[in-house]
Amino acid sequence: MTSRTTVLWRQVGQPSHAPAYNAVPARKTFTMPAEEQAAPASPPQPRKVDWPPPVREYVRRAFDPDYAVPGIEQEEMQIKLRQIITSFAEKEMLFDVDWANYPLPQTFIANKRRAAATRALASGSGINIGLSQSFSPLHITPQANHTNPTPANVNSPQHSKKRKSMDDTHAEQADQSIPPWRRANRNMLEDRITRDPKVKADKRAKKGVGLAGEIPSKFDQADLEKRKKRFGADKTSSASDSDSEMSTGPVIGTCQNLEKRYLRLTAPPKAEAVRPQHVLEKTLLLLKEKWKQEKNYNYICDQFKSLRQDLTVQHIKNAFTVSVYECHARIALEKGDLGEYNQCQTQLRALYSQKLGGHPEEFLAYRVLYYIYTCNQTDMNDLLAELTPADKAQAAVKHALDVRSSLALGNYHKFIQLYIIAPNMGAYLMDMFIERERLAALANIAKAYMSVTLRFLSDELGFESDPECAEFLQSRGAEQLFQSTESGYRVNIGQGKALFDQLRAAAFSKVDIKGQI
Amino acid sequence: MDAALQSFLQARAEEDGYGVADALSPYSPLGDPYRLYNFYRASNAQTIESDVRYTLKYSKISGLPRNESSAWTEIFVSYWKLAGEILARDDATNQGRPQRSGQMVDIYNAWKDLTNILIKYSANGYLPAWTVICLYKAGKYLRIFAIRADEELAKSPGNTSFNHGFQDDIVDPIAKNEKLEETARILNRMFSICLGDRNPIMDSRKWGTYYMANLQFKTYFKLKAISLSKNIIRSINAQNDLPELESFPKSHRVTFKYYVGVLAFLQENYTEAVKNLEEAWRECHVHAPKNQELILTYLIPCRLVSQHKSPTAELLSYYPRLQAIFGPLVACIKRGDLAGFDAALVAGEEQFVKRRIYLTLERCRDIALRNLLRKVFLAEGYEDLKEGQTEANRIRKTRIPIAKFAAAIRMGSGGDGLDEEEVECMIANQIYKGLLKGYISRERAMVVLGKKGAFPGTGV
Repeated sequence: MTSRTTVLWRQVGQPSHAPAYNAVPARKTFTMPAEEQAAPASPPQPRKVDWPPPVREYVRRAFDPDYAVPGIEQEEMQIKLRQIITSFAEKEMLFDVDWANYPLPQTFIANKRRAAATRALASGSGINIGLSQSFSPLHITPQANHTNPTPANVNSPQHSKKRKSMDDTHAEQADQSIPPWRRANRNMLEDRITRDPKVKADKRAKKGVGLAGEIPSKFDQADLEKRKKRFGADKTSSASDSDSEMSTGPVIGTCQNLEKRYLRLTAPPKAEAVRPQHVLEKTLLLLKEKWKQEKNYNYICDQFKSLRQDLTVQHIKNAFTVSVYECHARIALEKGDLGEYNQCQTQLRALYSQKLGGHPEEFLAYRVLYYIYTCNQTDMNDLLAELTPADKAQAAVKHALDVRSSLALGNYHKFIQLYIIAPNMGAYLMDMFIERERLAALANIAKAYMSVTLRFLSDELGFESDPECAEFLQSRGAEQLFQSTESGYRVNIGQGKALFDQLRAAAFSKVDIKGQI
Repeated sequence: MDAALQSFLQARAEEDGYGVADALSPYSPLGDPYRLYNFYRASNAQTIESDVRYTLKYSKISGLPRNESSAWTEIFVSYWKLAGEILARDDATNQGRPQRSGQMVDIYNAWKDLTNILIKYSANGYLPAWTVICLYKAGKYLRIFAIRADEELAKSPGNTSFNHGFQDDIVDPIAKNEKLEETARILNRMFSICLGDRNPIMDSRKWGTYYMANLQFKTYFKLKAISLSKNIIRSINAQNDLPELESFPKSHRVTFKYYVGVLAFLQENYTEAVKNLEEAWRECHVHAPKNQELILTYLIPCRLVSQHKSPTAELLSYYPRLQAIFGPLVACIKRGDLAGFDAALVAGEEQFVKRRIYLTLERCRDIALRNLLRKVFLAEGYEDLKEGQTEANRIRKTRIPIAKFAAAIRMGSGGDGLDEEEVECMIANQIYKGLLKGYISRERAMVVLGKKGAFPGTGV
């Protein structure tokens, strides 16, 4: 409320000062268990309800210039106002609130800013009901959500055409931490939909929801203006160079929760939603433990992404950062999630270049194996170019390079031996291309031999047992090649030339056809 | 001012593209070492525009259309600013002072402004098409200045690696080639202007297409964004009304084919690579040994791996550098000396990797191995003479124990860590790749070779 605090926090709260960012719709991430269901954000449009007179009076007061708080802009206040009213409307408590004495939205905003300024935790301060409701979704049981249809659900028919319903439900879930910029983002989306009433008019009429007429034009106008401003701000600040953005400096987190859902940032992060390093360190331990016990990859991946995000926004770049990325990369490898793995790998590469510790040689080896998997000759060449003799002397790197050269020369025998002795988690990566290399070896053998024992094939292809090898062959349509003899099974491999050539070509085309002559 | 613009006005009157381009050179010509200085001193920041406009308007030689005149005015005003930057740098060099930090960036920016003005008036047609030569010059120096500016920026401290915006991860992995990347975009615009010019072909900027394409290739290779080069080739192929490549200047052609060949090489499309590189090789200027060397750097590995043809000693003798890197390797391949081959590959690895030929050369080991196995085959000699056979049509022994091949392979490499299965695997590979005809019999531990043409293409 005091001008001191507002000035202090202006940078964070006001869009015109916000650095460039892209407003993106909520990303469809992994769906989470039901208990994570959060309170929905403010509804985009008012519902078709008769607002009780005390509420109307409250709204009037909120807009009254006499009550305006310097430093808090009307748009911001409007968002808050809508949020307050709808949060009560959802719980059908509109008539239970003493609206005449209920604090105005601008009071909430000012309180929150002051709270943040004094480093008190926003959710813990308990200054007011409105805040704690929107910021700590844990108070709301899943049942409450089910019994009270959320405004978003009511509205969904109109925008189901624009957004997939999956996204909608997700967006609601994702709102659990509800930093204000999320709500702004939502509003903007709804604007986009309602802005064009003529086009959608008949559709709405058919569905019998004549919403367009009910939206107070003032709201619309304000939102539009805000939108315009935001895009304007976007342009100017993205044109300016990075230094001006840097001037806001790293965030210093105050959040004490160990766990946090991952949300893609579209605005400056809030200190109260960011965990400082000493909390993150505990988080990492917790996640490692959880991974060992539960093996719930979706959950772990999500948590790691938010962990990485918190590190980024606080500009934490040290040995701990390296250990986070390494840990995430290993888990991603274990689950064969090469997309996520590759992200970590890229980051690790840059981190290692700054000599922050960690296990550069281990991940260098993985990178070699990764390029083998993607058949990326250009990248492989670039990688070879940057290897130093010291790198090559490392056991893991040497192993990976041997794998590479054995495959380049078609030496499947050596390749399989290397597969068996892969150090660290290299075997997980090699699993990604073992099948295709086995098929390549089979195509090779089929041309060079007439008939071989099953035993020989199991050995050359690196299967643990003959039945396993037989199953592999059978599942690829080679059962007619088997022949039973006194000394065990033989495979008339020579008759499978065409088959294995075909399988080999298909297996390689999945990643890329190149790599062979 | 009149004197300073004299060479331009002359060249403009004669519609001499090269002359006009020379008038916009960032360096004084050899015959007139003070040209840049004189031009810069002939005016000042305040009056330069009116000076140039006046000169262009009232010069006796020119009768420039108004649009064109105003375009040249803007160009020369920009050129004047550039001259100031260049002279500032030269002054520092001449007086032995260290260059002001940011000087190269300023030169780059000044040249970029000039380039953008040229692009603007080329695109809207104020400048006649034959001035495309000016765009050549603009592109050529833009690239050079950008590289130097990036070098300068890389040296200057305080380049944080935190990314801006709200990306989730910490470090920006993109290498710092900011200016060159910008150059790539500008070059692309010039390329589009040339490619898409709709003037009648005899008077069209289309003739600049390949020059610009080559500049872009160079830039993309330097930026390690080689894959972007494919877009250039694609858009050239999509432009139906482009004259035949053969009707373009030879220098454009050779460079273009070289790059197309190298791109095909990197995608391991060796047939296409050999075709383009051979064309480039044939047309390459006799007195351009450096270019010849570049072409051969890729042509030799291509032919080795796809046609099993090695360069003659005579060819290599003309190029000492190529002799040094390919000589030992080729000799080992011919001898079938696997250990020597491996050693040569390791010795040259740095050079090979730098030129992106390592992975291709590595595969030539197959040919070395083939030559070794062939020696074993020859050493086995002939079957005993049967009835009706003469010395002329004696049959070679075609059943050869695997152990003999294994021994041959071990002879070179000392025999560590090489078991029978691996030898089998190597032979199987040779069979698979069609270097050897026959099959392996595990039961008899023999390789049964084809009676005729066991080693295709080698006379046995």
